[in-house]
Amino acid sequence: MSRNKKEKTVVSTKPLRTRIYIHRWFYLMILPVLVFAIIFFYLPMFGIRYAFFEYKGILEPVFVGFENFKKMFSMAGFWSAFRNTMELSIIKLIVNTGAAVIISLLLNEITGLKFKKAAQTIIYLPHFMSWVVTASVFALILSPTQEGLVNSFLTSLGFVEKGAEIYFLGSNRWWRPAYYIINIWKETGWGTIIFMATLAGINPEQYEAASIDGAGRWNKMRFITLPALANTIITVLILNLAKIMNLFESVFVLQNDAVVRQSDVLQTYIYTQTFNSGALPNYGYTTAVGLVKSLVACALVLICNYASKKVRGRGIV
Amino acid sequence: MMKREKKKKKITLFSVCLAIVFLLVCFLMIVPLWKVFVDSLDLHTAYGMKMWPKKFGFDGYISVFTNPTLYQPLLVSVITTIAGTFIGLILSTFGAYVLIQWEMPGRTFIANMLLFTMIFSGGMIPTYLVINNLHLTNTLWSVILVPALNVYNLVLMRNFFEGIPVSLFESATIDGCTPVGIFFRIVLPLSKAALAAIGLMFAVSYWNDYTNYKLYITNSDLYNFQMKLRSVILGSDLPIANGSATANTVKNAATMVAIIPFMILYPFCQKYFVTGVNIGAVKE
Repeated sequence: MSRNKKEKTVVSTKPLRTRIYIHRWFYLMILPVLVFAIIFFYLPMFGIRYAFFEYKGILEPVFVGFENFKKMFSMAGFWSAFRNTMELSIIKLIVNTGAAVIISLLLNEITGLKFKKAAQTIIYLPHFMSWVVTASVFALILSPTQEGLVNSFLTSLGFVEKGAEIYFLGSNRWWRPAYYIINIWKETGWGTIIFMATLAGINPEQYEAASIDGAGRWNKMRFITLPALANTIITVLILNLAKIMNLFESVFVLQNDAVVRQSDVLQTYIYTQTFNSGALPNYGYTTAVGLVKSLVACALVLICNYASKKVRGRGIV
Repeated sequence: MMKREKKKKKITLFSVCLAIVFLLVCFLMIVPLWKVFVDSLDLHTAYGMKMWPKKFGFDGYISVFTNPTLYQPLLVSVITTIAGTFIGLILSTFGAYVLIQWEMPGRTFIANMLLFTMIFSGGMIPTYLVINNLHLTNTLWSVILVPALNVYNLVLMRNFFEGIPVSLFESATIDGCTPVGIFFRIVLPLSKAALAAIGLMFAVSYWNDYTNYKLYITNSDLYNFQMKLRSVILGSDLPIANGSATANTVKNAATMVAIIPFMILYPFCQKYFVTGVNIGAVKE
């Protein structure tokens, strides 16, 4: 939306009042949108002042200056959540994008249209499962008993003893690999759509010319397909990098008390500190954590927006 | 696979490998769901490696469906999805239509006001406090209204509206059509694909919503199916197993109940979802 259409528009010479009158219906139409924006986005921004207050549950807020921030920066839980947010989301982003590119390149090589369509239908499917359903499905197949598919498979291969099954989602060692794999399962297929759109836009003459020059399948992929995808890959990385601080639901439904140190991210830290701490919810402290999260997220969006303008000539917002 | 009929190409080693790779990929995508499906129909104590029920029976599903506490969550899911999608579409189309009025005084201000919310947010807790102070917690209004204004979807819609030729608006205005008339008679009928795509995106996010319920709803009478399923899987709220169904069978059956409605609708909707992604991506 930052792209300016002004140069295209003939600046109206009519007086402002007339222009407002002409557009009176539009103001009426935008009204509900503005009401929603103010209530659900702008009022909460005023709530940020509680970051500087001691505000517990039903008690009156008391101004405490930067006490909440001092407390936050001395908490091991906050730092581990901060590191986890970065690590989990960046590794997830790279792994998912990589998998989506590989699958797209392979899909692009399929010549049978029906087979291609069927494969696409199947690999898009998991994207629409909610995280609750995904977590349920994987809790069942990763179950640490012989009822779990993965454990009984490993037992039959002799990697795991019967009775010593691995509790994948409850083990410090396995939680993260399981998390990445579940994410690949859920999002890889959907991620291919944008790459497939780019691939569909490549001029087939380029491939024909390359064939005449004697290029094989591998060289065509390397010198035509991959360069064409490069811009899209960078775009996808930039767009998603801007959102990494929002990581919440996927972690929230897959984590449990045994793996908090490996899995807790800022949003889940905020949630559990507020609602599951057992004591009166300390809104002031968790608002402060949220403020730090929002500021980092804001910086990331601005950096990514700048990078996006450099790379593809238009911003992301 | 199909290429033999199509182009009479030779079956090369590469195409065979490719087919095998994709069969494997599809198998890996399907196997978790298939396993849940099989176990939901199996009354025998489940053993992980089997891909077909040993002792076939519907008792798992009967346990789920004879449990009246599951009807209410399904109803909540349906109501919030319909209401939320409707309100979400109204807000995105109205907003998008106003944002393409380049001569409207204040348009830039409104656009920037909406875009700023994509850059910076108050955060989870201040939003919760606002909803709480408005006394919307533990009402379905919270889970319907909070996600209804989705600026990203609004921008997608605006991108689509921009593609409508300006000459159509101009000739309609000359014919005496009001802006509201243009919106209902020209813009909406020309945007069916975008309405379907963005409407489905709203519907899926409302149907799958868990976070907003977790934040704003504590009254279990107002849980949607996702919340209910979560408590069933965590074992805190397992429906009483009927007949010879085991706890595991019931859990699998409950998960399938959440998946099946979508599996039936999905093939019909797939192209609209893809349209939705492409409206956002192809736009230059």
